[in-house]
Amino acid sequence: MATISRYSRQIVFPDIGPAGQERLNSSYAVVIGCGALGTVIASGLVRAGVGKVRIVDRDFIEYHNLQRQILFDEDDIKDNLPKAVAAERRLRKINSSIEIEGIVSDVNHTNIEKLVEGADVIVDGLDNFEARLLINDVSLKHNIPWIYGGAVGSTGMTMNIIPHKTACYRCLMPEKGTGGRTLTCDTAGVVNAAPWVIASLETVEAIKILLGSPDVNTNLITVDVWSYDFRSLEIPRKDNCLACAGKYEFLDGKLSTKTTSLCGQNAVQVLSSGSFALTLKELSERLKPLGDVSYSDFMLQFSTGDQEMIIFPDGRAVVKNTHDESYARGLYAKYVGA
Amino acid sequence: MIYLDNAATSWPRPENVYQAMDRFLREKGGNPGHGSHSLAAAAKETIDDTRMRVARFINAPEVERVVFTMNCTHSLNMGLKGLLRPGDHLITSRLEHNAVVRPLRKLETQGVAITRLAPSPETGVVSVADLEQAITPQTRLITMIHVSNVNGVIQPIEEYGAIARKHNVPFMVDAAQSAGHYPIDVQAGNIDLLAFSAHKGTYGPPGVGVLYIGEKVNPETMCEGGTGVFSESDEQPEALPYRYESGTQNAVGICGLGAGIEFILTTGRENIASHEHALLNRMIEGLSHLRGVVLYRAVDTDRQAAVISCNINGYEPGEVGVILDQAFDIKVRAGLHCTPEAHRCIGTFPKGTVRLSPGYFNTEEEIDLTIKAISSIAKSKN
Repeated sequence: MATISRYSRQIVFPDIGPAGQERLNSSYAVVIGCGALGTVIASGLVRAGVGKVRIVDRDFIEYHNLQRQILFDEDDIKDNLPKAVAAERRLRKINSSIEIEGIVSDVNHTNIEKLVEGADVIVDGLDNFEARLLINDVSLKHNIPWIYGGAVGSTGMTMNIIPHKTACYRCLMPEKGTGGRTLTCDTAGVVNAAPWVIASLETVEAIKILLGSPDVNTNLITVDVWSYDFRSLEIPRKDNCLACAGKYEFLDGKLSTKTTSLCGQNAVQVLSSGSFALTLKELSERLKPLGDVSYSDFMLQFSTGDQEMIIFPDGRAVVKNTHDESYARGLYAKYVGA
Repeated sequence: MIYLDNAATSWPRPENVYQAMDRFLREKGGNPGHGSHSLAAAAKETIDDTRMRVARFINAPEVERVVFTMNCTHSLNMGLKGLLRPGDHLITSRLEHNAVVRPLRKLETQGVAITRLAPSPETGVVSVADLEQAITPQTRLITMIHVSNVNGVIQPIEEYGAIARKHNVPFMVDAAQSAGHYPIDVQAGNIDLLAFSAHKGTYGPPGVGVLYIGEKVNPETMCEGGTGVFSESDEQPEALPYRYESGTQNAVGICGLGAGIEFILTTGRENIASHEHALLNRMIEGLSHLRGVVLYRAVDTDRQAAVISCNINGYEPGEVGVILDQAFDIKVRAGLHCTPEAHRCIGTFPKGTVRLSPGYFNTEEEIDLTIKAISSIAKSKN
């Protein structure tokens, strides 16, 4: 009874109805990345009564996350909680009638298939292109629809990828973003409404996909919340798309960012597979507002708080004060872009 | 590309090694010792042939005392864990690789007493007198590294061997960095256990190690299983090399080791060593004048193998390693080289050093380019 009244306002909505609600209740969604996008998406899916929601994220909460990541508070930071754990705790209080699972983990080609196994939909709350290309591969391989979404500055975009029906993410973005050229929320900033709008669109698309609705959007939607520019673009499938042709280069680990723990140095080397098109001078200008930067012909040193990084002209980086390879990949994605 | 990481593994391999391994897989690819058909017999013959070459190379008194293992670490573990029991005492140096340090740490927790001798801060050599003094009635084994994989100092293993024999204590040598480069005579050197890998100075592939087991020792086995002989018994055979070689051997790798030794014999071990030393001396000469560059090496040039370390003021070793790789395409090894104690001894713990290890296939021009590269890195901060 409590369950029925909990969802009564969306059951009244004719395109959902009691049968749709039941269908949602027996569905399973995996949200990958639990930042500004992921917290809104997870919150939306949990409140809507999706039967099982898995949230995967590798990061811990920091103060600058609170500006836009809606499931966290200052106590979570004091308790040094990982995002996936804090999100799970908060969401259980909101809806105890469904299964919610927070997983603290990097997402990479060795574990992604297990992380999304059995999912009816995968929803993107990520901050980097490489992991999205990985999700794209796994989605096409296992025929699981996924919803791409990204936001930076005041802009964002989202697109549904229905395997082998719509264009895939690699049709849209054949190669990984060029390292250094890619804007990230850490280097270009972000207005909180931008990811919230995108995440809301992702959430409703996820619900439509789970319901088998005929109204699933097949276009790429772009939004600028500052200049108030909303667009819907048709994206054709590419004939020569490798992923559509079953060549899963990211899932096979061929194009993934490689990390190596450096012997004796409490540091991890990050080797991105993409090209790097930024000079150290340009990168230093971008990083200057965020911390201490200095550079020579051979390398750039960047530090902020207890995070310290060396970046070399070919885009290779050494992340210091850690042995955690996934943490190093995360910092690299944030500050250099992957 | 300039490859200066031969202390990690030889590269490139001699052409005849590539060819021999290719031919082996195509023409002799049976299971060695597990079957009598012609392909199996051909594989076994290749292993026997390599065993004989290794035996002659180290002057083993009997060919079957040469045992093939997975790698040098495996060989060292077999010696240490096969011989030492709680209550026993062992003497070693503070220059050992983790291949010795870690098994010893485990044995220590099981009640093995260990004396770790420090090298002389001036020469980097562990004193023979210190060794003799450390021997007790409980001493069951002395194990020493022959050549340091950090600074290339050659230890006087013949002198250690003589002391060991005088006190009737078995003597094991970790020859990972020396086998192939320097003459090793297990009989003249009173070496009871000699461990090395195929893929460094002997130009074989990775995945094969050697343990020579002398007649005065009989280590317990660490692994039992099929040997292709004495199959009627459910007990591990006593006969060498079968006692220590259970399961299918890495025949193609062993074949590559045989070809590597053949290359050394046809090229001449001394020719190889003298070319490597000429390159090393050129490098030392070039680097020792650079402001901001610190070298870690043997003071006595006769005790210097083709491995040295350096650091550049203002840079961490790992940073220099990456810069050399990506700005100059020079491959070196930076860090602790799996030998933290040796770095403590030379004062470079915990960051380590940048290790430069030229090989036979390097050229003078490559050494000059390396000196130039290190010089320009040093100049940027010194």
